[in-house]
Amino acid sequence: MRITCPYCGPRNLEEFTYRGDATVKRPDSLDESATEAWVDYVYLRKNPAGLHKEFWQHTAGCHAWLEVTRDTTTHEIVAVELASKGR
Amino acid sequence: MSDLQSLSALDGVSAAGRFGNPDGNAGVTLTERASLGLATLEVRKDQAVALAERVQAAYGAALPRGPISANGTGVRFIGIAPGQWFAVSETLPNEALADDLATKLHGLASVADHSSGRAVMRLEGPAVREVLAKGLAVDIDSRVFLDGAAAVTSIGHMGVLVWRDGEAFDLAVFRSFASSFYGWLRASAAEFGIDVVT
Amino acid sequence: MSQINRLTGKGLVDHSKTVSFHFDGQPLEGHPGDTLASALLANGIRLVGRSFKYHRPRGILTAGSEEPNALVELRTGARREPNTRATTIELYDGLDAASQNRWPSLKFDLLSINQLASPIFGAGFYYKTFMWPASFWEKLYEPMIRRAAGLGYPSKQTDPDHYEKANAFCDVLVVGAGAAGLSAALAAARVGARVILCDEDFALGGRLLAERDEIDGQSSQDWAKAAAAELESLPDCRILRRTTVFGVYDGGVYAAIERVSDHLPEPPAHAPRQRLWRIVAKQSVVCAGGFERPIVFGDNDRPGVMLASAVRTYLNRFGVTPGRDAVIFADNHEALTTATDLSDAGATVRAIVDPQPQRSTAAEEVVAETGALYINGIIDAVSGAHGIKSVRIKDAQGASKTVDCDLLAVSGGWNPVLNLTTHLGGKPKWDNALSCLVPGDLPPGMRVAGAAAGQFSLQACLASGEAAGADSAKDCGFSPSACSRPAPARDVGPVVPVWFAPSSRGKAFVDFQNDVSVSDIKLAAREGFRVPDHLKRYTTLGMATDQGKTSNLNGAALLAEATGRHLGAVGSTTFRPPYTPVAIGALAGHHRGKDFRPTRLAPSHAWAVEQGAVFVEAGAWMRALMFPKPGEAAQDTVDREVANTRNNVGVCDVSTLGKIDVQGSDAGAFLDRVYINGFSKLAVGKARYGLMLREDGFAMDDGTTARFADDHFYMTTTTANAVKVSQHLEFCQQVLWPELDVQTVSQTEQWAQFAVAGPKSRKVIEALLDSGQDISNEAFPYMACGSFTVCGGTPARIFRLSFSGELAYEIGVPARFGDGLIRAIMKAGAEHGIGPYGTEALGVMRIEKGHAAGPELNGQTTAHDLGLGKMMSKKKDFIGRFMGQREALNEAARATMVGLKPLDPKMRINAGAHLAPKDASADAENDQGYVTSQAYSPELKSFIGLAMLSEGPARYGEVIKVCDPLRDYETLAEVCSPHFIDPEGERLRV
Repeated sequence: MRITCPYCGPRNLEEFTYRGDATVKRPDSLDESATEAWVDYVYLRKNPAGLHKEFWQHTAGCHAWLEVTRDTTTHEIVAVELASKGR
Repeated sequence: MSDLQSLSALDGVSAAGRFGNPDGNAGVTLTERASLGLATLEVRKDQAVALAERVQAAYGAALPRGPISANGTGVRFIGIAPGQWFAVSETLPNEALADDLATKLHGLASVADHSSGRAVMRLEGPAVREVLAKGLAVDIDSRVFLDGAAAVTSIGHMGVLVWRDGEAFDLAVFRSFASSFYGWLRASAAEFGIDVVT
Repeated sequence: MSQINRLTGKGLVDHSKTVSFHFDGQPLEGHPGDTLASALLANGIRLVGRSFKYHRPRGILTAGSEEPNALVELRTGARREPNTRATTIELYDGLDAASQNRWPSLKFDLLSINQLASPIFGAGFYYKTFMWPASFWEKLYEPMIRRAAGLGYPSKQTDPDHYEKANAFCDVLVVGAGAAGLSAALAAARVGARVILCDEDFALGGRLLAERDEIDGQSSQDWAKAAAAELESLPDCRILRRTTVFGVYDGGVYAAIERVSDHLPEPPAHAPRQRLWRIVAKQSVVCAGGFERPIVFGDNDRPGVMLASAVRTYLNRFGVTPGRDAVIFADNHEALTTATDLSDAGATVRAIVDPQPQRSTAAEEVVAETGALYINGIIDAVSGAHGIKSVRIKDAQGASKTVDCDLLAVSGGWNPVLNLTTHLGGKPKWDNALSCLVPGDLPPGMRVAGAAAGQFSLQACLASGEAAGADSAKDCGFSPSACSRPAPARDVGPVVPVWFAPSSRGKAFVDFQNDVSVSDIKLAAREGFRVPDHLKRYTTLGMATDQGKTSNLNGAALLAEATGRHLGAVGSTTFRPPYTPVAIGALAGHHRGKDFRPTRLAPSHAWAVEQGAVFVEAGAWMRALMFPKPGEAAQDTVDREVANTRNNVGVCDVSTLGKIDVQGSDAGAFLDRVYINGFSKLAVGKARYGLMLREDGFAMDDGTTARFADDHFYMTTTTANAVKVSQHLEFCQQVLWPELDVQTVSQTEQWAQFAVAGPKSRKVIEALLDSGQDISNEAFPYMACGSFTVCGGTPARIFRLSFSGELAYEIGVPARFGDGLIRAIMKAGAEHGIGPYGTEALGVMRIEKGHAAGPELNGQTTAHDLGLGKMMSKKKDFIGRFMGQREALNEAARATMVGLKPLDPKMRINAGAHLAPKDASADAENDQGYVTSQAYSPELKSFIGLAMLSEGPARYGEVIKVCDPLRDYETLAEVCSPHFIDPEGERLRV
């Protein structure tokens, strides 16, 4: 598999490290009522068949964290963006 | 100044000489670029424009926005990541480059010294691309990887920054991996013959 | 006897040169350009091996990589390689090959008695026999089966050759250099595309070399030669001969194995034996050709039964006739070509047996030309166990006729070689007109041409190859001109293919390599196996080195018949990489032996080697474990190093710890969020211990972080977690808090850092310091840090940190001075009795001191468990804060870090042992915790341990049982504070 890093260009899979679901948002850790949100954030993940937004880091390259939109049924990569972008 | 002996990353690792295939001219030549000034700079938050202007003014280089290098006065700036550059200098050797950058770019970039942390090897010769292809999973065809182009990647599970300087390739590998990397290089170059110059 | 079947002057071998080789010890001769198979046939050798289960005599069935029978052990000694296909081994001078799976000899094999026991070895026999009694399996059945079955034996010596990997990039990858592949490569390379052309053969041309066709007024052999020459002349075309593309992966990645030196007695100096290519191609054209199908009939495995296409290959390419008296059994027009080629080569064609009722005019002509009998019928029986002697032919009316022959050429039509089209999950489609499976949905960027696409005629191969090559180039941005060859009308295979001819006697083999017969498939069908992949596992049809290249479709057809379904509905097995066997050595490449993985050497490595250090791998690092004196026992070395550090001064290379520069105006705020404790208020010139959690509240890593300026911190991590922590920090920076002005970069490689520990350590550091600098206790107290110069102006960072519990410093210099500094430290410390200590002594001292390390930071412990719960800030946000507060992670009943002292100081506290109340039995119900670390403390003259114990701190003084049932060991120990030595930390602050 190849992932096109927005900075480095297309590279082999082993240059990247997978983290998982990129749609989850870290809740406020000072909000003591956010238990449910925290359990969701830390433990609960969807396992979609089809398009999925995932965090990958280009660990052997520029170290940028990426948001990769990948079809989990075909491995087709639809989009790759810097995770820092727009944050 | 120091009373301590300074050892380059390849001191004690590589010996000068011809290795591998002894016939004809060596396919590649390896020269260690010892004592270079090496440093990373990473732009401080919201200082990209100011940093670019300062680098232009202080070093005469336009900071590249991608994995390519820009040559300034005595310093080459190589794009290694968004907002990060690897600076290489012969004229500001060893720790001097990081000191100089830290002073001149104060407040605009975070500077870290890597002059001791990398072995920089220059590889050139007719077989250089074939040798590198045994480990480098990046297309370095001359039409794709233009003069000055750079790539942060890995060779044989060892991190490497490679950049093209004319027909030569410079490789910066982590100091602690120098021996393992040299082992890979010697083995990969053996079929073409390698001249090690020190 | 010398090359009795060689056709003088014919073929592409070099008749002017002779190559000597041995088969089963017999000296033989061939020519350059031969394969081992063609050379054996030239010498009249038909019996080449014994089959897998029944030890039946076997010969040569094919002329390519699909060969199921002619497997031999190639070479001797350390280079002996089993199960190599004689049909792909390029002959070289001195080649030494031996037949396999026979004893005592190929012609007389004792285990051929297995044929008599064939009912036992039917489908699924693994699952049905040798089942009882169970205890016999390991000691009797398995060794017996292993001895009887299997094929060749590998050398048990270390492979003396080396292998390597290489990467290649191209616009168009062409797989296969037959008519279609050469056409595709030419079409793409002529317009400037970067082309890689791979072929598993040593000569380019594929079937063009094996047939007597004409292209553009040239012989097909000459055309192939000219095409290859033109491709060689094009600068952007790389030709890889002897290279099999064996796998297709996502993103246009292809794996190929180049047999660089397999055709030589041994690799030339400095050359690898094989090279594993990873090819990244924007487009690919698969022109892998076709496999001819055997027809299944009784005793169809006898030596001398050969695929018709292979017969023509041996005749036309190698100048060898595989027989003198031939019978041809085919359900398609290959029969006629084969008859003509044999006849023209001087062989006698005794009969053409055609199971199809119609007889064409072309057939009439060939019969007239060759004088062969033409019989509409089937092969009813084969005679000659070690080599075919005659066949009995039964015609459509049921009349039989016996014909003497030494060669039976067989063809059941062709299958496209579509393996590569399915590696990413594409399913082949059944083509009714062609009676074969053709490629279905293709991976992105892939095209198929020639026989692999079901385009079997020569004109169709040339035209489809050219079109696919041009289209591929176009998709890469090139502008090819219009194709020169019009696509011909689609050719049609046999109207009704004949899969199985019901002979009156003999086993009818479907899979020759695994001895799977028609009866096995019928039995499996009766037992409910209806899916080809299930049939494969149950009967072994299509397993092993050939992966059913000649048997899969016949097997599926028989399964379809047995289950009353259409073949198109049955489908095929799933093809997976590798297409042909690949040596493990090639997959490892450079990374074997000491190069299995790269190692990292610390700055003092060369010096430590001089001192006779014993090293230990810590991740990729080689760290000095201890520095034994000649003849000293390991425990004595460690005791000595510990005692010397505690009494005098010791030095240890700690450069391997992760070191991360954290800069930026928000660096302090950032650290507040990644550590459980605060850092933004840490004074410049001070260091602090910090603990990081994962977001789930469990401990991730710890270390000290020093502050050199308001906007500059210097973090250390454990050696093991350096990379993980870097990635974590980068995630926090880039994803969680991009609004912060903070930059991190690893400095692990830049700084050589040494711990100088012991009551006399200050004297050593002072001796190194350049004048005018003060590290007295007042000026530079415990947990101070600062920049200094040492040894005549060398920049240094000094930290007053202690892992050992003694007065101690860490001193760092740029790594280029690391070797110099360790020598300077040793020199300066000589008068104070300095000695180096390794990681073993380091471990003893940190256990004596009760510092948590890797065994305690094991992913299951929280800050509370480590006794650090009070460090967790209540006020600020930090990673792990919310989940770390959960009640269950903070309750007293949790296993919490304690020390253990055995009641008998000579008894070990085994790490990994579990803890139970003193009088309880050692079982899971009574499990109250586990031992994480153990050491012998020279100061306490006792073994000691660190453990995680339920309600730990409340139980100091209690005696508990340390249970290690794995090692059958138990002892009693007293629970105590983990701080065995200097619990108040007075030694640190002197």
